[in-house]
Amino acid sequence: MSWNKVAVVGAGLIKMGELFDQSYEQMASGAFEAAVASVDKGFEPNQVEAAFVATQRGTLWGQEGIGGNTIPTAIGLAGIPCTRIENACPSGSDAFRVGAMAVASGVHDVVLVIGVEKMRDKSSEEGLLSRAAAGHPIFTRGETAPVLFAPFATRHMYEFGTTREMLASVAVKNHYNGARDPYAHFQNEITVDDVLKSPSVCHPLHLLDCCPQTDGAAAVLLVSAERAREFTDKPVYVAGFGVATDHPYLHEKDSFTEIKVTRMASQRAYAMAGVGPGDIDCAEVHDCFTITEILDIEDLGFFEKGDGGRASLEGETSLTGRIPVNTSGGLLAKGHPIGATGVAQITECWWQLRGEAAERQVETRNGYALQHNAGGRGSGVAVVNILTNRTDAP
Amino acid sequence: MTVRVLGVGAAAPELRLRAADVGAAWGRAGRGEVAVCAPDEDTLTLAWLAADRALTAAGVEAGDVDALFWGTSRPPFAEGPSFAFLAASLSLAPTVGGLLCAGSAHAGMEAFAAGTDAVAAGSARIALVIASDALRPGPGTGFEARCGAGAGAFVLAVDGPISATIGTRVTRTRPFLDRYRGDGEVDNRDMYDPRLFREEIFLPVVRAVAEQLAAFDVRAWSLPDPDGRLGAVLARNVRATLTPSSTIYGAIGDAGAATALLGGIAALDAAGLVAIVGTGGGRTTGVLVDAEIPVPGAALTADAISGGRPAGYVEALRARGQLQPVGETIPMGVPPESAMFVRGADEMLGLLGGRCVDCGTISTPPSIHPHCINCGGPKLEPVALARHGRVHTFVVNQTMPAPFVAPLPIVVLDMDDGARLMLQAIGDGTDIEIGRKVELVLRKYAHERGVPVYGFKARATKEDAP
Repeated sequence: MSWNKVAVVGAGLIKMGELFDQSYEQMASGAFEAAVASVDKGFEPNQVEAAFVATQRGTLWGQEGIGGNTIPTAIGLAGIPCTRIENACPSGSDAFRVGAMAVASGVHDVVLVIGVEKMRDKSSEEGLLSRAAAGHPIFTRGETAPVLFAPFATRHMYEFGTTREMLASVAVKNHYNGARDPYAHFQNEITVDDVLKSPSVCHPLHLLDCCPQTDGAAAVLLVSAERAREFTDKPVYVAGFGVATDHPYLHEKDSFTEIKVTRMASQRAYAMAGVGPGDIDCAEVHDCFTITEILDIEDLGFFEKGDGGRASLEGETSLTGRIPVNTSGGLLAKGHPIGATGVAQITECWWQLRGEAAERQVETRNGYALQHNAGGRGSGVAVVNILTNRTDAP
Repeated sequence: MTVRVLGVGAAAPELRLRAADVGAAWGRAGRGEVAVCAPDEDTLTLAWLAADRALTAAGVEAGDVDALFWGTSRPPFAEGPSFAFLAASLSLAPTVGGLLCAGSAHAGMEAFAAGTDAVAAGSARIALVIASDALRPGPGTGFEARCGAGAGAFVLAVDGPISATIGTRVTRTRPFLDRYRGDGEVDNRDMYDPRLFREEIFLPVVRAVAEQLAAFDVRAWSLPDPDGRLGAVLARNVRATLTPSSTIYGAIGDAGAATALLGGIAALDAAGLVAIVGTGGGRTTGVLVDAEIPVPGAALTADAISGGRPAGYVEALRARGQLQPVGETIPMGVPPESAMFVRGADEMLGLLGGRCVDCGTISTPPSIHPHCINCGGPKLEPVALARHGRVHTFVVNQTMPAPFVAPLPIVVLDMDDGARLMLQAIGDGTDIEIGRKVELVLRKYAHERGVPVYGFKARATKEDAP
């Protein structure tokens, strides 16, 4: 029995990219306006009762220690309750979950969930790469973002015979999808050969195995299920969600062939939604690196452990495959503005479930879409949200 | 009281710089090669490695050492906790006594003499004597191509199995300049005319000491050789037929304060009388060691100082800190003056884990694990972690901002005691693969705001090469 206590009645994002010409506030305003404009029966900004904002790395845009007060001013709603949610790469996913709980609790009927991230206002060296010097002075020294996932690729290749071509096929597929998504950072198709020949970033991952550093923002409007029809005749409901945590250091992992928190979070979400992996029509999953998507599609239960590389290479996750994954282009092509990423994924799921994904539209026979992020130190946090367009949800 | 030598150990950097490459940069000829520290090596990490090997050879537990005597011309802190960092990284008891000798290339002999006297006087039952050095010559100086790096260590005791005993010691002090650094100078200088140094300074003083020892039936000699010729002159003067020190100079160059003891260690691989002569800073000391049998560890010297990877002149300059990039580097998120380094000093330098009393799982490091990572239990007891293990998985990071230098291998390890660690690995990653055996050795993780940050790194063992 799906949860379905909260509906998504509006969703939107801005074109992702290196948005040197836009401030954090301008990006947020753009995403909010897109979400407001998407509401079928009209929406007045002042109908927002409360907001939850996901921004993971305030330091990357130079305003350290931000709280919840930046967004209301930026979108013309100064004074409303607003809370910043920071939970690593799943920050946007988790803000969505917290927003849904706020609505379901009955405290608020209409809630804005917005994700905003400035990744490029600082140089790469001062920005994301600087984490090489962050954290524990010995155990994380040199630990840039690819170091969090590349050891899984090394081990997955060792245990299951996963190849670099299999990894590359994920990037090729997601760039293909991104080329069909007007909001994607990268809109060009690439080949397996392009990926294989790109420079090594962190063995065994090469440049095109990695997502770009992207500025972006996305927003969704949540209302109580009872009031959904005031805003749209095509509501999408929150069917279920799950969160899980694991130890924060890589040397504390049990396994380097799975992201344990993805498995745990998805099991919780499936149980809450009353569905299983076989019921999911399409999924937006965390593909910060190619290996991550291969782990995701195994740990979410779409494929057997060890079979994700083969499935990707053979097109089973393409737009016309058995389970289309990252139809938006994913983090690899659409981009990974961290706090905005999960909210942008929700937006893609919303479009897919409403039949509005244009060239990227997949067949939604069961009416369920899954959204997933994993991240944090040691990939120790994952959030899974499941959406449905079924009002007759079982 | 008789002072015995229970064991010895030697160490040198793997990197080798050819004198011809140095000469080529300055329009000179050059022959031979010297050892140079990698960016993550210094006199402390070399001292650690030699001492670790000496303790192993002697069969002595680190916690049983009463006093540490360390001689180096370049302690990592000009003023600071050099001695304490070395003691902690060797897991010596916090009650350990001893001293740090510095100030010249004679520092190694001073440490040896002080350690011998402490044991003879009964103030230390077991003493660890270490001499280490990594010279940093001024670029373009005439002696640049001879400046090397290395370390030697002795475990001395009043009792223990029969091996070698320390005998006569002679010394001379004369106020002459030698290779030197003024206050605030970083690179070594040598102002003397070579003929003046040879005829009026070096030979009269060093010969006087060596000739006193030559009155005994010396089997093998460790003799100073600052320019590649004077060692042979001295050997002729004292009618020495066996000078293992010349092998040391040939392998690693002039390792400053470490050279004399390293020559002695190499000479202790057979029974007989060994004469060790060291000089520097206006002081010269000679000492006799009488080996009844080959001293444990001495036979490993050649392997311990054998070279590995060749380094070009530019790489050597960068490793010595003489070629620096312009621009800012990324500061450590947790700088060395932060509280974490106070809380974590012992567990980082001594590599400790917390073993769960309930399920046996080791959580590392203890300060961030009040609960077991396996069962969540709250009862953990501190344990020293195993130093050997195998690679579970790894990466080679190629993309990092300064001060990091790619390639940087990072390995996840299954240690022999069941603990799992993630550490940097030494080298360029080409010798790393899943399942590869590794050992942990002390290296420098960072040099932040003038402060070296030490920790253990993984090194693929030679015996398990793919």
